[in-house]
Amino acid sequence: MEIITAFAVGLLFAIDIFQTLRRNILRSAIGLVLLASAINLFLLSSGAYNGIEPAYVSETGSVQSDALPQALILTAIVISMGGTAFVLAMINIISTRYKTRDMDQVNGLKN
Amino acid sequence: MTDSLLVLPFLIIFTAALAAALFGLPQLSRRISVSRLSWILALAPLTSFVLLLSYLPDLQTKMALTWHITWLQSEGINLRLYFDGLSALFAYLITFIGTLVVVYAGQYFKGDQGAWRFLTYILLFMAAMLGLVMAGDVITLFIFWEATSIISFLLIAYKNDDKAARQGAFKSLFITGGGGIALFIGLLIVSYVCGGTSFISILDKGDILRRHDFYPLMLILIAAGAFTKSAQFPAHIWLPEAMSAPTPASAYLHSATMVKAGIYLMARLNPALGMTETWFWLLTVTGMITMLTGAYLGLKQKDLKAVLAYSTICQLGMLMMMIGQDTEIAFKALVIGILAHALYKSSLFLIVGIVDHETGTRDLRRLGGVRHAMPFTFIIGTIAALSMAGLPPLFGFLAKETLLATAVHPSLPSSLMWLFPWASIITGALMLAMSGMLVWDTFMGKPRDPAVQGHEAPKLMLLAPAIPAILSFVIGLLPGPREEAALLAAAASAAHGFKVKVSLALWTGLNIPLMLSGIAIGLGVLLFVFRQRVRAFQTRMIIKLSFNAVYTWVIKGIERIARWATRLQQGKLRTYLAIMLAGAIFLVIGYGDLPFKIPFLDITWPSFDFSGELAILRIFALYLTVGAALASVLLKTDFSAILAMGASGLGIAVLMALEPAPDVALVQVVVDILAMVILVLALARLPHPQHHHAQNISFSKDRPHLIRDGLIAAAGGMIMMLITLFMLISRPRQSAVTQFYEANAESMTGSKSIVGAILMDFRALDTLMEITVFSVAGLGIYTLLRFAAGKFSDSLEPADEQVSSSVNNWPTYGIGGRKTSSFIHALAYVALPLTMIIAVFHMMYGHEKPGDGFTAGVIVSLAVGFWYVVFGYEETRRRLYWLKASALISTGILLAIAVGIAAALVKDSFLANVDFGKMLGLTLPKGFHLSTSFLFEVAICLSVLGSAIHMINTLGRPSEKRPIQSASVKD
Repeated sequence: MEIITAFAVGLLFAIDIFQTLRRNILRSAIGLVLLASAINLFLLSSGAYNGIEPAYVSETGSVQSDALPQALILTAIVISMGGTAFVLAMINIISTRYKTRDMDQVNGLKN
Repeated sequence: MTDSLLVLPFLIIFTAALAAALFGLPQLSRRISVSRLSWILALAPLTSFVLLLSYLPDLQTKMALTWHITWLQSEGINLRLYFDGLSALFAYLITFIGTLVVVYAGQYFKGDQGAWRFLTYILLFMAAMLGLVMAGDVITLFIFWEATSIISFLLIAYKNDDKAARQGAFKSLFITGGGGIALFIGLLIVSYVCGGTSFISILDKGDILRRHDFYPLMLILIAAGAFTKSAQFPAHIWLPEAMSAPTPASAYLHSATMVKAGIYLMARLNPALGMTETWFWLLTVTGMITMLTGAYLGLKQKDLKAVLAYSTICQLGMLMMMIGQDTEIAFKALVIGILAHALYKSSLFLIVGIVDHETGTRDLRRLGGVRHAMPFTFIIGTIAALSMAGLPPLFGFLAKETLLATAVHPSLPSSLMWLFPWASIITGALMLAMSGMLVWDTFMGKPRDPAVQGHEAPKLMLLAPAIPAILSFVIGLLPGPREEAALLAAAASAAHGFKVKVSLALWTGLNIPLMLSGIAIGLGVLLFVFRQRVRAFQTRMIIKLSFNAVYTWVIKGIERIARWATRLQQGKLRTYLAIMLAGAIFLVIGYGDLPFKIPFLDITWPSFDFSGELAILRIFALYLTVGAALASVLLKTDFSAILAMGASGLGIAVLMALEPAPDVALVQVVVDILAMVILVLALARLPHPQHHHAQNISFSKDRPHLIRDGLIAAAGGMIMMLITLFMLISRPRQSAVTQFYEANAESMTGSKSIVGAILMDFRALDTLMEITVFSVAGLGIYTLLRFAAGKFSDSLEPADEQVSSSVNNWPTYGIGGRKTSSFIHALAYVALPLTMIIAVFHMMYGHEKPGDGFTAGVIVSLAVGFWYVVFGYEETRRRLYWLKASALISTGILLAIAVGIAAALVKDSFLANVDFGKMLGLTLPKGFHLSTSFLFEVAICLSVLGSAIHMINTLGRPSEKRPIQSASVKD
């Protein structure tokens, strides 16, 4: 199972990085959203153990999943959501200002 | 030996600076005139002066008073104060002359209500300067050192519409700031060698420092800082240009305080770094050249302030030279020189300010004969100038006598035996000529320009220069051992490292210094009499090597390099991103210590019998996630790509649920949907004609770029795969941290959900930050699109439109102008209150079941988003007018902070778990606690809801004013 998960995480990262580098600026934003979820998956696999029960206080005594990475992921999801929305607003600005959604035509940084 | 009152003078002045800044408010500045304000503010340095004076008796018995507060404990850095004789001498000058300058500034800027800015700067500067001379730690010293550089920049550039002032300010900042960097490195090396940053540990480690291999390096670096600050040759070029500051600032910064900072530093470090050959030659030669340069250039100036500036440079060189000597008499000369110079130079600067103020010029070619109009100014100026000339019975005479006594000290090396006395005599003569010129050409004779008509300054304005001038007269004449002699002795001893006796007797018998003094005076009188010819000769002599040219060359060079470097930037965002990613990948491969040696034998290959309980589901979810992500790359239209992205996110949610991590899965689902909604809304808002082009370039046949991106992506993926694999197969069976949370979640936080306990309690501040970030994102989007976007768009959108509740004639259209059925309307009506109930339950029982305030907020906002889809923008805004996004955000965050403080009051820890319901004895439903975490959840829910509504609202606002018939999302 580990090797499949690792392979999937690697593949997901590759796809997302590729998507982030597209010329179409909206695709790039989609890449960013996807990259965030790939990172969350990666964080999840940094947990100490695989439980069979959710991390709730109980008396059954069976192995619970690691709560710490989950808490981290929760925070990460929220922050990346805020970031995504902000990126979208920026895209909006770019598309009104440069009249394009082509990253190569955004030339405001050129001196 | 700690005294917490030491910090008080600093705090008083700092508070006064802030108070002065408050008068920038028109409501306040209307009520009080600048001169009255300055009287009140001058109380601050005066109080500090008196406070500091009260330490004088302590200094007789103790070496130094110290005080510190712990600051960066892990780095061993504390905020330390150290107050000994040397600090005291400077601190008295700073607060005493500071008081005079503030009062004077009130008169100087009379009627200019904008002068609160000047008063603020000068008081801030005073605080920084006081901190500098009282710092007990090299880091503290450095911070105040830089503060003085920056505030002096503001003061020099005070008249900021004057180009010369701006350039002068920049030059001063560039030179002193550059020296500051060198100083910082030097101080770090010193504290590294000494094993501590405090002066207490540095000052008695002189032997270690002097023998250390790095000694020359640290000496050069620290000297670079001190020399640039104290305008030593060749860094003296900034001082004359800094004269474009208002005169009160020049009087303060460039006579008594800032330029003396370098002198202070070298004197302070003399016991640790001094008493070596290198030290002697470095300081003596630099000081002597500076002294002669200043004196020579001073005589040829035409501007009164420039004359004073060069004579200050001359004096600074003299003082620097004194520190280099290792004799008792030199340190005596040092402290007397500092005091004498501060007194006469501040007085002269203020007098020049008055002359400038009352006649309108400082040009020696136009002034003359104003003694009749300004008799008091004339008298005060003459006293101060006589002290500068070094004539008895003024204090300046004593300063020159001790200088000459140092110059003929028998311990000098033979090469300097002749040079030193003659340099001192020439300097003395030039100074005398300069002072004569200052007084004579301004006040005596006939006016050179009849247009220059002076009148006497107000008495209050004369008070400030009068006091130091009278003091330099009185100190020389008072008989017997005195307090100030004891203070000077303490200062000299602190700088020398050994006991120094200081007597202030003017007449010490007929000796060599007195004879030399006579020569100097005679020569000076000759120079004064023939000053016109001397000056004409000086003007003819063109100095080939101008250091201003070097400075200009350096600045030009920096500009050229910057231009060349920015040419590398071709402005393509995609290339930047690719370079950054490639760089990160390269760094990780090169230095990341990647686990290339994976124990492949340990890997359990999945058995494909699929009898495992969850394995098949996990594989399915992974397949969904990766496949959908791939689809979002390959699909042709943006709309489908967004949908694929959503599917991929849902795959992640399934994986989370299988982990099992129900809380995460829940949040992932709602966030995924919200992200999708917002993306679709944003897509719909984007201008229509761009769609086609954008979708075409998604698949441009740009082979080199595709290969480049593919390689970067593959490398990144490989690295992440390796790391993940290594992490998964080497998982520990026990987590180091989680166990604590598991064991204490219920007892400490009352929460059954461990994830919830971590978020709401153990790491509650993180969560507070997180919702703040989320709220700021929402507000940022709102601001960006409402206010910034309008700037660039053709059809200028109204900056702040009013969606009134007036009758809307447009029929209810859904998103993209589609008509929606009444059935869906009914659904939407039900959905909103339903989600609110769900949200409330989430918050009430979040501590024992999946779900929390964040989920609650997102769920409600999803229902709102649904309304936008069903009813369209205008209609939704009209019906849901009561959902005020910004108000929700602020209520949420304020509530969180209020709850945190309330909990802190009960359990003295911010956001600690407190069951308020139990405290108040309320009867509540079973399983529900009115606790900190519940209220915090409510706060989170409110702010998240507000922020999400801002997002939907702004991004969902159609860019076209009216509903259009063709759906823009569908193409």
